[in-house]
Amino acid sequence: MQSMEVAKLISFFEEDLCIFHLRSRKKMSALTEMVHHLALKHKISDERFIIEMLKNRESLGSTGLGNGVAFPHGRSLAIKDLTVLFARSASGVDFDALDGKVTKIFFLILAPSDKGSETYLSILSELISLIQKPAKLKNLYEVTDYPSLVKILQEKDQ
Amino acid sequence: MKDEHRLLIALQDLDIMIKEVKDKATSKELQSLGFKLTGLGELTDARDKLAKKVPRNLLQRYEKLAQHYTMAILPVTGSLCLGCFVKLPTQFFSLVSRNELQTCENCGRLLYIP
Repeated sequence: MQSMEVAKLISFFEEDLCIFHLRSRKKMSALTEMVHHLALKHKISDERFIIEMLKNRESLGSTGLGNGVAFPHGRSLAIKDLTVLFARSASGVDFDALDGKVTKIFFLILAPSDKGSETYLSILSELISLIQKPAKLKNLYEVTDYPSLVKILQEKDQ
Repeated sequence: MKDEHRLLIALQDLDIMIKEVKDKATSKELQSLGFKLTGLGELTDARDKLAKKVPRNLLQRYEKLAQHYTMAILPVTGSLCLGCFVKLPTQFFSLVSRNELQTCENCGRLLYIP
């Protein structure tokens, strides 16, 4: 998978598509809250399709990769353009993460189903490698506004 | 949109996900990123349950098309079939109802107005 420039990666983030205080504490309600946010911002045509698709994706294996981060993702006809939503939970969500710990950071990545999987795989891959550093992750756990989020993502490895 | 059409769209989303997991390159990539893809059985079970809810004649049309196309059902955007990119005839839009699935005369895909 070809590496993507950080600036290009950040271009997929929108201030409107960030939730800095996720209220939900359980997996399905957290996914529903994020998808509902996308619906309010007119990014998806039907919440039910997306929720159902994400639920199915989680049954394949949790997208909570551990270290407090999850990457729910998938493709659906109900999404028109590649969309990335960032969410942060101060208290953490029980997301069946692989390490059994709560999840505090979510990168929800949705792609249209008429495009290939490579459209979201490159973002997924880049995001996962970007947040490997513990210091960056710690900053993300505490981020509460969009400019700070962009700054953290832009920062060179600490 | 009718519920049966919604079911068909959800079925297609699920089929695409199953296809991705079965695709060696995609599943290798996902696994290398740290994702565990152990629930293929759950996905196929969910697919079977969903398929049972779709009216038989509609499911048969979908299954036949899905043998040839990844996207057997598509929304109409602009005046094109997004499957084959052929312009739909003007009468398509005068006859089409938001509640009925239509067929692309060129490729046969199922089309709906979102």
